[in-house]
Amino acid sequence: MTKMINGSSKILLIMTGLLVAVLFVQLPFSEGAMKFRYMTSIYADDKGLGLNQPEGVACGGESLLIVADSGNGRLLRYSIKDGEIEAGAVEIKLEQIFYPIKTEINSRDEIYIFDRKLRSIVRLSPAGDFRGYLQPVGLPSPTAYVPRSFTVDRKDNIYILDILSERVLIFDPGERYVRQIKFPQEYGFFSDVAVDFRGTVIIIDVVDGKVFSAAKNSASFSPLTSSLKEYVRFPASLTVDDRGRIYLVDRNGGSIVILGQDGSFVGRQSGMGWKEGSLHYPAQMCINKKGEIFVADTRNSRVQIFKLVE
Amino acid sequence: MPRSRKTIKIKGINSRYATLFSLCLISFLVCAAPVHSESKFKLKLGAKGQTCLKCHEAFNKTLKSRFVHPLLKKGECIGCHVPHTSSHKGLLKTDRAKLCHDCHKEVLPENALSSHEVVVEGNCKTCHDSHGSNNKFMLLKSGNELCFDCHKDMSEDVRNARFKHKSLEKGKGCLNCHDPHSSAKSSFLLESRAPSLCLKCHQTNKVSFAKKHMNYPVQNADCSSCHNPHGSHNRGIIFDVAHAAVTEGKCTECHQQPGSLKTKKKTTQLCRECHQDMVDQTFNKNRVHWPLVDKVGCVNCHDPHATKEKKLLKGSIVNVCGRCHADTVQLQEWSIKNPKNERICEPVKKGNCIACHSPHAADKVLLIKEQDLSIDLCGRCHEWQTHSTHPIGEKFVDIRAKNLSLTCLSCHTACGTGNNPTMLTFSTTHELCIQCHVERIK
Repeated sequence: MTKMINGSSKILLIMTGLLVAVLFVQLPFSEGAMKFRYMTSIYADDKGLGLNQPEGVACGGESLLIVADSGNGRLLRYSIKDGEIEAGAVEIKLEQIFYPIKTEINSRDEIYIFDRKLRSIVRLSPAGDFRGYLQPVGLPSPTAYVPRSFTVDRKDNIYILDILSERVLIFDPGERYVRQIKFPQEYGFFSDVAVDFRGTVIIIDVVDGKVFSAAKNSASFSPLTSSLKEYVRFPASLTVDDRGRIYLVDRNGGSIVILGQDGSFVGRQSGMGWKEGSLHYPAQMCINKKGEIFVADTRNSRVQIFKLVE
Repeated sequence: MPRSRKTIKIKGINSRYATLFSLCLISFLVCAAPVHSESKFKLKLGAKGQTCLKCHEAFNKTLKSRFVHPLLKKGECIGCHVPHTSSHKGLLKTDRAKLCHDCHKEVLPENALSSHEVVVEGNCKTCHDSHGSNNKFMLLKSGNELCFDCHKDMSEDVRNARFKHKSLEKGKGCLNCHDPHSSAKSSFLLESRAPSLCLKCHQTNKVSFAKKHMNYPVQNADCSSCHNPHGSHNRGIIFDVAHAAVTEGKCTECHQQPGSLKTKKKTTQLCRECHQDMVDQTFNKNRVHWPLVDKVGCVNCHDPHATKEKKLLKGSIVNVCGRCHADTVQLQEWSIKNPKNERICEPVKKGNCIACHSPHAADKVLLIKEQDLSIDLCGRCHEWQTHSTHPIGEKFVDIRAKNLSLTCLSCHTACGTGNNPTMLTFSTTHELCIQCHVERIK
């Protein structure tokens, strides 16, 4: 009997040891694990008019959400509380905006829109009144530029991804030219730009699936990652959160790929599909201060809201 | 005497033992090798190959060929074959794909920029008779005939060309420019890149050269950007599809005066000078294809001078699109190879992306030609009612995403779906149906 107990104890001891070892080995990986938990979806304005292939979303503060309802040529302004729509949508439809595909909000809640038809950036007041098209002042030669995308940093500086003259142009909040960063020599096609909390400018090469970055005040980009084609099909858009983590929106793959500050692969969330929680040809995404994630789920004609769970 | 004995002792080893040991070692080395290879198996004279010919009489004829493999010539069949048993066909020593490369390593250098597929696969016998033939290098056929056995399209083009490239018809033919195995210097197995390859025969310092090129400094340009090295229906073997300005010699329509190759304007603005209506229509759409407005513009997809593809495209449609949309083209390729896809959509099968997409601009997502990416578009080729009674159309809501109505693309994926059957979005019909018909699961 004693012998049997001793034998069982030994097995138990070995099993416990193995379990501890496994947990110990896995700890560094599971520590940074992140998941998207589906919360709800936005399908329409408060009059019941459905979203039509929206491509842009911008988060402001803790509750403001602007949706670029591209197919309907309008913006919708929502107030979000705890992942739910708090009040009805305010429609912003202006004759100066034709086909909005990207939107950003600065620290004063001013709204910036990128209109694909005009290939121009439009500036609106927090209430949605037209304030003008972005007209850079003091742009050095070459003065011609074609924006493919843009972003606004914490200090309200504006960054334009100029695919004509192969550079990122940086303007102060008064739209005065500050500096430019030339594209790297070898690349496929740059489709989006983002700026993290340190002022690092990040751009995504959608064709080669590579991320490039330029530290604050740096005059050139260097590769942050090698090709990520193993994880992502067509990363057309990117955004960064308060901790500097990078989120790549995989347009053709219908998912979001998360990278660490150093470009290391952290995870891949959601997947292509029609059901809620799945994405179909997603475009822009944004994250608010509460860690709520909003994705313009373009071909499902809705905006989906997720909660980031760590 | 005692003095000399003292000096010969090395670290305590007696010289007599050392000498004896050396003699034994030398005797062993001299005797051991022959015992292993010959005497051990007591082989008859000629067992390495001559004996084989007693049964394999056909090779007696091969031996009389003009070019015979050196091993066979020496009667060493065992250079490649194992006489008793082998795991490889033809009693070969090793896999056919590796056998030739074991000796002929130079045909596939590690730094090759391009390699002939049959060489990479080790299918040397596609071109060579491994024993011997009357053609140089033991080739199965001589001259271009051998190449044209596989490259039939090229053969047709070369034969039908009104204006022929002389180097294809004289000397080594195709091999005047191409290395049949691999090239460390260029793509397409070319011995070197243009223009250095072309300069082997053509001289750029002649007055006639300058005159033919309207005095533009093209001596360092890639000749094959205008000229088809395999022949053409156009004089000067300019590619069959040529920009009117090129065939008419109106270089100044786009370029500055001779002396510089610079263009008068940049990118799309230059093309707009002649193609005003097309560019205006394009820029009036909601979504212009981004490459049209980048630094390269129209020239991302079109060649401004001459090509062999319609609309001056830089390659076939699927190749041009695939340079950026490789992930989608890969799905298309998988779909074609998928045996379950018997009724694959024709444009997908042919790689004709522009059957559904508008390559310059469109009002809708994915640059779809029609207003609606589905019934209108698919209905141009498919009469959907004949294959399905499933309701589709604006009245029927897709319960998975309520802003969508049921369309062809609720079940199918247009560009190809990899390994799924009938271009379905799911791997089985059951999996597809239960997306909406949840009651079936219960």
